[in-house]
Amino acid sequence: MRATPSRHATALLRPGRLYARRGAAPQLPLHPSQPTQTRHYLSATSSTTASSSASASHAPPPSSSSPYSVNATEISHFSALASSWWDPHGPSRPLHLMNPLRHDFIRACLSSSSSTHQQQRQQQTPTKLRYLDVGCGGGIFAESAARLANTAHVRAVDPSEAVLSVARAHARRDPALRGKLEYLCTPIEALPLPDDNNNNNGGYYDVVSLFEVLEHVDYPAEFLSRVARFVRPDGGWLVMSTIARTWTSWVVTNLVAEDLLRVVPRGTHDWAKYVNAHELEAFFAGAEGKGLGRWGTPRVMGVVYVPGFGWREVRGSEKVGNYFFGVQRLG
Amino acid sequence: MGTLVAARAAYVCRTCAQHFHKQLGLRRGYSSSAAQPDIYDVVCVGGGPAGLSLLTALRSNPITSHLRIALVEAQDLAKMKSWKLPRDSFSNRCSSLTPSSAMFLDRIGAWKHMERDRVQEYQEMQVWDGVTGARIEFDWAPGSTSPAGTTIAYMIENLNLTSGLLRRLEELGGVSTFDNARVEKISYGEETEELDLREWPLVHLSGGKQLAARLLVGADGANSPVRTFAGIPARGWDYGRHGVVATLELEGEGWGGANTKIAYQRFLPTGPVALLPLPGNHSTLVWSTTPSNASLLKSLSAEDFVAMVNAAFRLTPTDLEYMHTQGSGQADEYSWRLQHTKFDTWAVPQAVTGVQEGSIASFPLKLRHADTYIGERVALVGDAAHTIHPLAGQGLNQGQGDVQSLANTIEYAVSHGWDIGVAMSLEPYLSERYAANHVLLGVCDKLHKLYSVGSGPLVHLRSAGLSAVNALTPLKAFLMRQAAGNGIKVF
Amino acid sequence: MEVTFRRSAALVAQTGGLRRSIAVSAAAAVNRRHFSLSSLTRPPPNYPGHVPLTTLEKAALAIGSGLMSLRDPRRGDLIAAFAEATATPYFIYRLRDAMLAHPTGRRILRDRPRITSTSLNLPYLRSLPANAVGRTYVAWLDREGVSPDTRAAVRYIDDAECAYVMQRYRECHDFYHALTGLPVYREGEVALKAFEFANTLLPMTGFSVFAAATLKPSERRRFVSIYLPWALRNGLRAKEIINVYWEEQLERDVGELRSELGVEPPPDLRAIRQREREERRRRKEEAERESGRGRAAGL
Repeated sequence: MRATPSRHATALLRPGRLYARRGAAPQLPLHPSQPTQTRHYLSATSSTTASSSASASHAPPPSSSSPYSVNATEISHFSALASSWWDPHGPSRPLHLMNPLRHDFIRACLSSSSSTHQQQRQQQTPTKLRYLDVGCGGGIFAESAARLANTAHVRAVDPSEAVLSVARAHARRDPALRGKLEYLCTPIEALPLPDDNNNNNGGYYDVVSLFEVLEHVDYPAEFLSRVARFVRPDGGWLVMSTIARTWTSWVVTNLVAEDLLRVVPRGTHDWAKYVNAHELEAFFAGAEGKGLGRWGTPRVMGVVYVPGFGWREVRGSEKVGNYFFGVQRLG
Repeated sequence: MGTLVAARAAYVCRTCAQHFHKQLGLRRGYSSSAAQPDIYDVVCVGGGPAGLSLLTALRSNPITSHLRIALVEAQDLAKMKSWKLPRDSFSNRCSSLTPSSAMFLDRIGAWKHMERDRVQEYQEMQVWDGVTGARIEFDWAPGSTSPAGTTIAYMIENLNLTSGLLRRLEELGGVSTFDNARVEKISYGEETEELDLREWPLVHLSGGKQLAARLLVGADGANSPVRTFAGIPARGWDYGRHGVVATLELEGEGWGGANTKIAYQRFLPTGPVALLPLPGNHSTLVWSTTPSNASLLKSLSAEDFVAMVNAAFRLTPTDLEYMHTQGSGQADEYSWRLQHTKFDTWAVPQAVTGVQEGSIASFPLKLRHADTYIGERVALVGDAAHTIHPLAGQGLNQGQGDVQSLANTIEYAVSHGWDIGVAMSLEPYLSERYAANHVLLGVCDKLHKLYSVGSGPLVHLRSAGLSAVNALTPLKAFLMRQAAGNGIKVF
Repeated sequence: MEVTFRRSAALVAQTGGLRRSIAVSAAAAVNRRHFSLSSLTRPPPNYPGHVPLTTLEKAALAIGSGLMSLRDPRRGDLIAAFAEATATPYFIYRLRDAMLAHPTGRRILRDRPRITSTSLNLPYLRSLPANAVGRTYVAWLDREGVSPDTRAAVRYIDDAECAYVMQRYRECHDFYHALTGLPVYREGEVALKAFEFANTLLPMTGFSVFAAATLKPSERRRFVSIYLPWALRNGLRAKEIINVYWEEQLERDVGELRSELGVEPPPDLRAIRQREREERRRRKEEAERESGRGRAAGL
């Protein structure tokens, strides 16, 4: 099976939002002020864009009319889903089933941490981990992370109050979550950045997670630039899962899952917002130039949902559909 | 290691639980219930082999050992733990443990706590049709070995198993036990300002104690109160048969000597009769028969009972039927009929010479299968989930299979941050065990029905089938590995 | 194989010397055992008088004796051989099991009583009341002029217990005549055989019913319309007659025993025949008178 469909096919499916051009380096849309059709695509590899990237990173947080990475339509969509979030047989079932794989992936990431950082970390701090879950939704991942024995604390943020009220109500059902799990209704842009002088690890997190979030974000590059700053510089991990923008993912997530089988509510996915793994790799390869610190070689794991069996890791499938992406901050 | 384990936060950590108690205690003024519940991750109702194995498995696994666990048992656990019988005396309730069940018990550290010299493994089986005499001999061809050696199963007294498990649990520690305790009712918890336990089962014990359970495990037998609480129906039927058990003494150690023990089973039209080896010249009897036959057998003198058991493996169904109409005198009848009945001495068990006093008992046989094994914060294991015809000796092993699967499911849930009580995290347990148990229940049920037929074309057909299987060595070896539970998993 | 077949064929072919030919072949078998261990080697007998036969020999015996006894139904020895050869695969076991399932049947099998002129006190039986089973039996013996000792010994059934069952059936046959009141001549015998077949399911008894083909047309009509329905109805409905311990029933009232066993007495065959004979004679006389008168009138 060919991993990537022809550019032509991509263009045909969404002619209005052409992301990748023949021969162009992978790019991520950056800023809300840039109109969709005529976005400035920042090449993470070219030296000329390094300066503009740097200037972008020094720019004040976006404000006024469209201040945040997640748009209002997305927020209202998930608010409407809030009531069924924890229904094991409801529309969120695939998410529930995917959750164990997230932990497997994080565990694989943590155990692959470069030895120097691991040793460093063990000397400096207790072994328990601090999590920041961005776009936590009803708290499927946040709750599960808080339950783990080696978790110190989980801070989970989401811009939708409706969704968070579901998350909070659900967390009250489990005494084990008390004191370990904290929900904040805020877009990531409004969450105060870590302060290196702060006592509490400077407000950094060992694991920053972005599960099934990136595909709902209008300007992923800017969003990632913000999120990356919360990752502990000496070996913390940024982990995420999202969907590759390919013709198969369009067929699977939009046509089959939403329109035909209706296993996922309609309007959950906007295929044009999907981000490919190689685009993320390119982003982090050029991150240092943008003042986002030094990052290790990303880990990628492709997964496939088999109805009736759940999620399965399938090598190479990151180029086709859902995948996990983890990258360690080394400095 | 000890500090490391201590450093791990309990799933519901002890301090947290105490913290809640204090907090809840403050609100006692406007709380409707008199006593505040203790909060546990796992509350297991029933201290039989299934329940105890599950708790042992959870306690012995470092990933699940931090769970707060409670055991509720109606009987006195101290008495069960200190169970002791003289060397030449055996309990009449024995079970056949497959090597895979035994390996599981070994893995959780319980096997070494069993009184090993009271456990008897057997290597061969002789199974035959009481109407036609068609026979299948399960003996290992020379040189052929199964992965677990040549042992087909281990015969163990249920009390040996439970007392061993209790000793292992004591060694592991960390289980809050509530024995001599009756479950008065099971309800749901309440909502307070901090906590919403409205989905948590609340077990009310005699004496007013209340246990809130993240996961309530019903290991409470065929009439499971936990299953009733969960509203899970169990379907099936009564066989109209009773299982008569007894501890018997044979004329010797068996035809294979002390090192090659043989299990015998003969299918009679009233049900199968099985003689399973125990250490020395002892054997345990499981005779499935009609309730009236069972009550007759229980009323007989020792001499006549022994004659009936010997007759059951040798005489024709006609003779047996007649002897079941006699109030007494079976011994005399047996010695007369023995002269006129042809059988292969070496293919039937050695003659029974005595029955242990007070060891003859009977229990009704039924088939039951719960519609599901899981519910929200409820899981059923062992007899609470399914009751099988004892003809294949699989009842206890099915329970052990359940426990193994449930312990794995809980381990997976814990290590992936899943709430171990929610039905979704228990789904793997259901999907792993339900079909497997259902197939086995069905096979044993069909076998029972097939062999209940005393005459007609079916009798010839089944004999032809049995003889054919007996002639096909690879198929037979496959079946033996299945019986031993160490072959490819088809069930 | 071929040798065996020829020998057993000879065994039934020699009409006069069945016993002799068996003795010869048995002797030959014994002799053979000394110098060869072939498949023809005859195993030792299971009981005194037992002649072990191979399956093929039994089949040949069944066919030969069956055919020849049909031709000559008075050959009791052939009927006996046929009965034994056809009973073994299944039927005799069924009959044995029927006895084993019944307390009295079991007692009979355990005691193995024989019915002979010495085991029974015939003068005493003659002294019993007219309606007693023993009196009826002995009266029947006296009327038919037969003795309990005329029954052949069982030889070809391998299992000793089953051989006894066949022996018992044979020896009790005369009691069945007494019980049913059916006479010994062919018409009565066929009716009794039909009754026995329905009651014991022994193949020989059923086979014997085919002897009805050799009856006179009027007898056959009577058999089909009266005695066959009676035999089948009573044979099937009655208890297993093989389980009657006749030796203990000798003083019993025969009617009482009949109703206990569920057997209704058939119409008296002798009386019917008598009546028909008289009827025929009367009609003949009338016809003669008629013709005599006619002749007289014509004169």
